Amino acid sequence: MTRPLLEVEDLAVEFDTHGGTVKAVRGVSFALHEGQTLAVVGESGCGKSVCVQSLVGLVPMPPGRITSGSARLDGEQILGRETVGGMRVRGQLIGMIFQDPMTSLNPTMRIGDQIAEPLHMHQGMRRRDARMRAIELLELSQVGEAEKRSRQYPFEFSGGMLQRVMIACALACEPRILIADEPTTALDVTIQAQILSLMRDLQRERKMSLILITHDLGVVAQMADEVVVMYAGKVVETGSADDIFYASGHPYTQGLKSAMPQNQDRRAQQLEPIAGSPPDLFDPPTGCGYFERCPRAMQVCEAHQPPDFDLGKVQHRCACWLHDARATHDS
Amino acid sequence: MWRYTLKRLIQGLITVWFIATTTFFVMHFVPGDPLSDARATSEQIRENLEARYGLDKPLYQQYYIYLRNIASGDLGISFTQQNREVNDIIREHFPVSAALGVLAVVFAALGGILWGALTALFRNRMPDVVIMFLVVLGVSVPSFVFAALGQLSLVTLNDWLGVSVLPVAGWGSVQHLLVPALVLGLGTMAFLTRLMRSSMLEVTNADYVRTAKAKGLNATQIFIRHQLRNAILPVITVLGPAIATITTGGFVVELVFAIPGLGRFFVQSVQQLDYTVIMGTTVFYGGFLVFMVIAVDLVYGLIDPRVRVE
Repeated sequence: MTRPLLEVEDLAVEFDTHGGTVKAVRGVSFALHEGQTLAVVGESGCGKSVCVQSLVGLVPMPPGRITSGSARLDGEQILGRETVGGMRVRGQLIGMIFQDPMTSLNPTMRIGDQIAEPLHMHQGMRRRDARMRAIELLELSQVGEAEKRSRQYPFEFSGGMLQRVMIACALACEPRILIADEPTTALDVTIQAQILSLMRDLQRERKMSLILITHDLGVVAQMADEVVVMYAGKVVETGSADDIFYASGHPYTQGLKSAMPQNQDRRAQQLEPIAGSPPDLFDPPTGCGYFERCPRAMQVCEAHQPPDFDLGKVQHRCACWLHDARATHDS
Repeated sequence: MWRYTLKRLIQGLITVWFIATTTFFVMHFVPGDPLSDARATSEQIRENLEARYGLDKPLYQQYYIYLRNIASGDLGISFTQQNREVNDIIREHFPVSAALGVLAVVFAALGGILWGALTALFRNRMPDVVIMFLVVLGVSVPSFVFAALGQLSLVTLNDWLGVSVLPVAGWGSVQHLLVPALVLGLGTMAFLTRLMRSSMLEVTNADYVRTAKAKGLNATQIFIRHQLRNAILPVITVLGPAIATITTGGFVVELVFAIPGLGRFFVQSVQQLDYTVIMGTTVFYGGFLVFMVIAVDLVYGLIDPRVRVE
C-alpha cells in the first residue's frame, strides 16, 4: 500500500479541570489514505472529537494539552503548527465542518462574505473575485439561487442549507482533507442523506480525503472506506468498513452493532443496548477500558492493556485479549 | 421599515402621555403649591392668584387645559421666574446639557467597549484584574466625588505647569467640556465595561468563532471580524437609555463645574413646586428618553440583521 496522506501516531490529549486531569485521548494511531473516507466511531465522550480536533489545533489550550504523539501530513509534522510549506494547516490544507450548522456561522455576516473570507485572507484574492468564487462554491454545494443567497444572512437559511454553506466554506481553499465532525447529527433524516451524498460527490470530484466523526453506524456503512472504533480514549479496532461490519473482532464493536436498528427485518426487532457506562477518564483503568461492560471479559483484561492484534486481513487490527493465542475460545 | 418606525413613534407618544399624566397628578398630591412659599399672603390675595393661574379649577379641568397646551407646544410660564416661558428655559439650557451629555456618552461607549474587550482578552490576568478593580470604583463612587477629584487634579495640574491647561469650571469652549464629560460618563463607562466583558467572553466560546478558527483566520482577524461585532450588540441595546440617563442625570456635575445646563432648573423647580417647570422639564426629558430608545432600536438593525425589519 502507498504511504498514507495523514498518519497519526500515539496521540494523547489531556484536559486540566478543577476536578483533576481528564485523559481524553490516550495514545491513538490511525492512517488516512488519499481520496478515502475514514470514519471515527464511538459513543459520546470516547474522545473522537477531541482526537481529531487536536490534530488541527482546535482544542483550546489551556485547558487542553497534547502530551504525546505526532501527526504527519505527507510526511510533515502538523501538530502544533499553523502553516506547513507556506500553506495554512487550518483552512488551506484541512477544511472542517461541524455538528450544528445553525450556530456555526456568524449571525451578523452575509453568507457570501463568510465563504469568501478565507479566499480573501489566505490566497490574496480580491474581494470581488472572492465573492464571485463564493457564489460558485454555493452552486457547487447545490444551494439554489446562489447569487441571491450569498447576500443573505444565516438566519434566513434552514439547517440543511446552512450545512451546505459550511461545506462551501470548508472547500473554499480546496483542502486535501475535509474533517466532518458529526455533520448530520443535527439534521433530520432526509436532509442527512442529501448532505452525505453531496459530501461523497464532492470528495470524488476533488480526490479529497474525508475524516468523518460519527456515532451513527448507518452513516459509517454508507460512507466509510476505513473505520476506527474508539472507546475510552483508545482505538479498540481499525479496519475496512467490511471488516468492521462483517468480521468485527472487538466485543465493543459487536455491541455497537447489536445496538443498531436493522432495516431488513420488518418485525419488531429488539435492540440490545450495551449495559453500564464508560469508565471515568479522570482515572482511566490500567487494563482494557471496556472490561467492566464486556460480556466476554477475562481475568487478564482487568490488569493488562491488550496490544493490537492483527486479524489476518490487511490493516484489520483489534485491541482485545480474545485474539491472543492463549485465550480460551468458548464460542 | 416606515410602518415599524411609525408604530414605534405612536407607542412613544403614548408613553410620553403616560409620563405627563403621572407627573401631573403626583405633583398635585404633594402638599403645598407654587404660591405657598415663605411670604405671608393673605387669604384674599391667595384666592385671587389661584384664580389668575387657574389653580382654583377642579383638577381634571386643570389637567385638560394642560394637555391642550402641551399638544400645541406650549409648556406654560414659570411660576417663580419672572416672565420666563418653560420653552425658553429648555431652548436656552438644554443644548448645553446635550453637548455635555453627548460627549460623555461618546467617552463612556468608546471606553466601555475598549476596556471591556481588553479585560476579556486578558481574562484573569493582570490587566483584567486592574481594570475590573477600577470598574468597581467607577460603579460605586458617586459622580460628585469624581467631579471634585477632577477639579482638584485640574487645579494641581495647572498650578504645577504654571499655565492653565484646562479650565477648572465654567462654560464656553470645548476645553470646558472635556473633564466634566469624562466625569459624567465614568459610571456608565464602568457599567458598559462589565457588560462588554461578559458579552465578549460569551462570544469567545461561540461555535462561529471556532468556525472562523477552522477557516485559518488568526486571532486578530477573528477578534475584529467575528467577535467584536457580535459582542457589541448588548452594549448598543443599553446605549439608548444610557444617553438619556447621562443627559438628564448631569445636574450634579453641572452644578460642580458651574455649567449652565438644564439640570439645575429641573431640581430647583421641584423644590419650589414650580408646576409648569416641573411638568415641562419632565415631559421634555421623558420624550427625549423615549426618542433615544427608539433611535437606538432602529440603529440596532444596522448591526444585527436578525432584528432588521422589512
